Amino acid sequence: MVKRALALAALAAMLAGCGGSGTSSGGSGGAGGVQNGGVLKAGIPDDPDHLDTGISYAVEGWELLEATNNGLLTFEKASGAAGSQVVPDIATTMPAVTDGGRTYTFHVHPGVMFSAPVNRAVKPSDFQYAIERLFHVGSPGVGFYTIIQGADAYAAHHTAHIAGIVANDKAMTITFHLTHPDGAFLDIMAMPFAFAVPAGMPYKDISTDAQWRVATGPYMIKTYVPKQQIVLVRNPNFKQWSPNSPNGHLNEIDIQIGITPEQAVNETIDGELDWYMEAVPPDRLTALRAQYPKQVHMFPRNNVTYFSMNERLAPFNKLAVRQAVNYAIDRPALVKLFGGQGTPTETVLPPGFGSAYHEPNLYPHNVAKAKQLVQSAGATGAPVQIWTTNADPAPQAAQYLASVLSSIGLKVTGVRTLDDSVYWDTLLSEKTDPQIAFNHFDQDYPEGEDFIDTLLNGQNIVNLGNNDTSNTNDPVLNRMIDQTKLMPLGAARNAMWAKIDNLFMKRDAGWAPFIHLEQPTFVSARLHGLVFDGSYFELIPEMWLAR
Amino acid sequence: MGVFILRRMVGLVVVLFAISLLVFVIFNVIPGGDPALRLAGRHPTQQNIRQIRKDWGFDKPLYVQYGDMMERLFIKRDLISYQDQTAVLPTIERGIPRTLSLATGAALIWLVTGVAIGVLSAIHQGRWLDRILTVLALAGVSIPIFWLGAVLLYLLTFRYHSWAVFSWIPPGGYVPIATSPLQWAEHLILPWIVLAVVSIGFYARVVRASLLDVRAMDYIRTARAKGLSDRRVLFRHTLRTCLIPVVTLFGLDFGAAVGGTVILIEPIFGIEGVGQYAQESVAHLDLPPLMALTLYGAFFVVVANTVIDLAYAWLDPRTRAQ
Amino acid sequence: MTVEAAAAPAGRGGLSLAWRRLRRNPAAIASAIVLVLIVLACFPGAPLWVDVACHHGPNDQNLEGFIHQGGHRIPVVRADGTPIGPGWRACYLLGADSNGRDLAVRILYGGRISLEVGASSALLCVVIALVMGLLAGYTGGIVDSVISRLLDLIWSFPVYLLAVALATTLAVGGLAIGPLHVASSSLAIPIVVIAVVFVPYVARPIRGQVLALRRMEFVEAAVATGAGPVRIMLFELMPNVASITLVMLTLIVANNILTEAALSFLGVGVPVLTPSWGNIIEQGYSSIVTAPALTVAPGIAIMLTVVSLNVLGDALRDALDPHARIRIR
Repeated sequence: MVKRALALAALAAMLAGCGGSGTSSGGSGGAGGVQNGGVLKAGIPDDPDHLDTGISYAVEGWELLEATNNGLLTFEKASGAAGSQVVPDIATTMPAVTDGGRTYTFHVHPGVMFSAPVNRAVKPSDFQYAIERLFHVGSPGVGFYTIIQGADAYAAHHTAHIAGIVANDKAMTITFHLTHPDGAFLDIMAMPFAFAVPAGMPYKDISTDAQWRVATGPYMIKTYVPKQQIVLVRNPNFKQWSPNSPNGHLNEIDIQIGITPEQAVNETIDGELDWYMEAVPPDRLTALRAQYPKQVHMFPRNNVTYFSMNERLAPFNKLAVRQAVNYAIDRPALVKLFGGQGTPTETVLPPGFGSAYHEPNLYPHNVAKAKQLVQSAGATGAPVQIWTTNADPAPQAAQYLASVLSSIGLKVTGVRTLDDSVYWDTLLSEKTDPQIAFNHFDQDYPEGEDFIDTLLNGQNIVNLGNNDTSNTNDPVLNRMIDQTKLMPLGAARNAMWAKIDNLFMKRDAGWAPFIHLEQPTFVSARLHGLVFDGSYFELIPEMWLAR
Repeated sequence: MGVFILRRMVGLVVVLFAISLLVFVIFNVIPGGDPALRLAGRHPTQQNIRQIRKDWGFDKPLYVQYGDMMERLFIKRDLISYQDQTAVLPTIERGIPRTLSLATGAALIWLVTGVAIGVLSAIHQGRWLDRILTVLALAGVSIPIFWLGAVLLYLLTFRYHSWAVFSWIPPGGYVPIATSPLQWAEHLILPWIVLAVVSIGFYARVVRASLLDVRAMDYIRTARAKGLSDRRVLFRHTLRTCLIPVVTLFGLDFGAAVGGTVILIEPIFGIEGVGQYAQESVAHLDLPPLMALTLYGAFFVVVANTVIDLAYAWLDPRTRAQ
Repeated sequence: MTVEAAAAPAGRGGLSLAWRRLRRNPAAIASAIVLVLIVLACFPGAPLWVDVACHHGPNDQNLEGFIHQGGHRIPVVRADGTPIGPGWRACYLLGADSNGRDLAVRILYGGRISLEVGASSALLCVVIALVMGLLAGYTGGIVDSVISRLLDLIWSFPVYLLAVALATTLAVGGLAIGPLHVASSSLAIPIVVIAVVFVPYVARPIRGQVLALRRMEFVEAAVATGAGPVRIMLFELMPNVASITLVMLTLIVANNILTEAALSFLGVGVPVLTPSWGNIIEQGYSSIVTAPALTVAPGIAIMLTVVSLNVLGDALRDALDPHARIRIR
């Protein structure tokens, strides 16, 4: 019930990861160019998950850490598909890739300084330390870095260091040896988990430890009092070294913790709040859009919302039934349940992935055909239980699905609603993996592999922590996925992802995707420079205040 | 009396122990509530999960886990939540003043209003005012508390927010009294009223009933025979006597409010007291805070109960013998 | 609940007196009429309304549909997800919910569930309480100790916390005791949970009354004639606690309807696909700003029902035994 708090945003935050790349209307109505200075008044409903690059795995954490910390690589600080481009940050250039795609060598920019009290230049070994630290702090991101040679042995405490990382502080280089080639390693190195931390940072969450909350970026976190406030100020040690890490326009960002969405709307109208780090409550959106059209932004995100059907459980072990569900759901109707905030889809990958996205065309709405497919599969009357999280509007979507499944001849025995905090873990365990479930995925990094390999590669099926909730295991697709992963980033690779996406929906149809969600944001009249990056969300260093 | 209290104290400990066992058992038989998976995040390796099981002691026998939890709750006082790995006891300590602020203010309102209505009803016994007040009092008791909160919040802080009379009402939240007593009251006035409305009826009915009882008693008749006015009799003699059941009832209700009813009302207003924490912990199937909070709630209920029994024992020596 | 019952209960002979008292109380008459109307509206009325008005069942969704009114074509659910509001028409009299379901129809059908859950859990609760109260009060000794401690245990649990914890557990896993298997989506779960948490509130006063009755002459006389304990409990004690039980039953139905609403609102009550008043509020609350009727209307239905039950219970108590003070929380 407290879930009224908003739903879509809560859902996204829960799923951790980060969301979509997209366009922004930027500094619309800008009063004649960018202005520097000023204090941004921001609000957030609750504490960010962590302010520790090694542990944070939620939107709000990454939004702040993007402004304060840096990695070897970053995503282009741009909205739209451009934001999925990986560019150098502390690395002087893009890395040299050798050994058939197994070895990545980076040159580290000299003169990138840690803030006080560390006050020294970033060294290559700091990046090694950052990644090794993940394995000691129970980081949710470790899974991304086990591709580095020797990471597994290190995790089992067999070795003093990860053998596949060679840092040379004199030559200012760092080399990563991978167990197998994977183009998406570049994306992985741009995630906050791989951001530089000073060697010696304790193996514990340093979110509230000002001694170790050390910045390299244009801002640093001056204060963080949980449940009260976060203050970001300019980092005096910061000197811009790359266009990819801009200087920032604001002098200070004051974030009040514990602002409810309703409060945020009222305070933004009154001009007491500039920026709220969560989505606008869906029920307020229509009125706000009408009244303050220049202050409401609809940012497309890299995500997909779908019903996942368990290919191992009847009746969804039959392709015809899975296809029937895809024919039977009326996607525009489902979009309405999401307040019209998104685009209907029948693909896995979102439009923000550029050439990896293809236009939907497989499943025009056709209930009669669906009914006939269910009949042909001999599944009429088969009992089905639908699972859903309680975060609105997922229960409404599940109830819609219930009526659809009944209309095509399946027997719905119930909709089981679980609290959002436990729902996702339940899906990830084979023991409790339901027949059909409301599902949602937000990107971790803007590349097809993140969706398709993580969610659909049958070789990744495990009993606990199984992201392949549909239990899709198609040898043809698996092989194609494995081949595509080896390819370098770019158009050819994207074309493969698009092809796999299409084949999956045709040959397996283990999902019924229906919407790519947008993030509605409502800001004060004086806030400009809103750039919505797919991975880091609103970019704080791009924001500026009109005076 | 000393023995009575001692027995009650022993009883309290036994009840709390039984409750802690019950909570522990209930939450260990839930399928899908595997905290290790939750702690592991979205991209866990199998080794990750194993390590977490070991680090958190989920691989130990249940009775050891129970013992560890009790030790961390009562002795080490460093219990950690599964959901967000925050310390449980500081969060409860942060919530207590909020919940007490809510309950105390509401209690004051329901006590004063309830007694006033009860007296009024008794004076006008059997007449129309009495009937109307009775129905009104029962109407208050019959409103779903969460619904009243939600609807009032909608009406006063959104629909009619622009009306000057309501524009000062904040849409939920809490400000400590030390920060600003005025804002503290502003934020709590609506929750106070909501929590009070659903109790006023009980008090009105009890006061009315006991007033009528007492009035029929001999010493009142004597007083009246001495020529004292009705009103004077009422306030001098009657009211004082019949407030005793009200006070005992009040102890019970206050305990129930602090230990339970706040679960329904705090989340609506975003007060973030122990009630909201309890509601969230249940929803999250988060055992450590739930354990601490259940014991906290049970403690309040049992202590309130003991106080009432003591009061009864003091009022009516016959019960002491039992 | 506290009960301060006078030792002499109304008994069988008092019933006609009580009935006369009740008839003279206009509030009681009015609330009885309201109750009858509500029951009629929900049970025979719900399908009747569907037949006459709009032919939409309580679960029929209509996200892409339109209605025609005053020459306008109005979407049942707008593109931004806002459902149609209340208006003077047969279809969607009280408006639609976010899935395009007819709110009026849902409230009628939801009333069935709320009343059923309230009544059957109250009945179950009172039956359990009666058995426990009689056993504990009459047999005394170890049975009394065990039952009393058990009641203490349930009683010291904060009500909503216990109910929510039990309901959450059962809603996740269902219930399986031996051959008995209750699916997690069964209505039996909220009924049993609500019944169990309120047992002490009914059982304790019954036990108290039985304790008092046990020492009275007519019981001792029955014992002297060689009547067994079961016979005494059933034929001597039961009739004498009947009036207090009847009053409590009325009040506890009211209380349980509120509890059903609260549990459903917290998402652990009646299964999602079955409309109940609490469920309708829960599902409508997230759009209170754009569609307040979804929250307000079912709440008013609850209030009307519960007020009527409470007024009736209050009057019943006055009529049966003006000195008893009973309340349920």
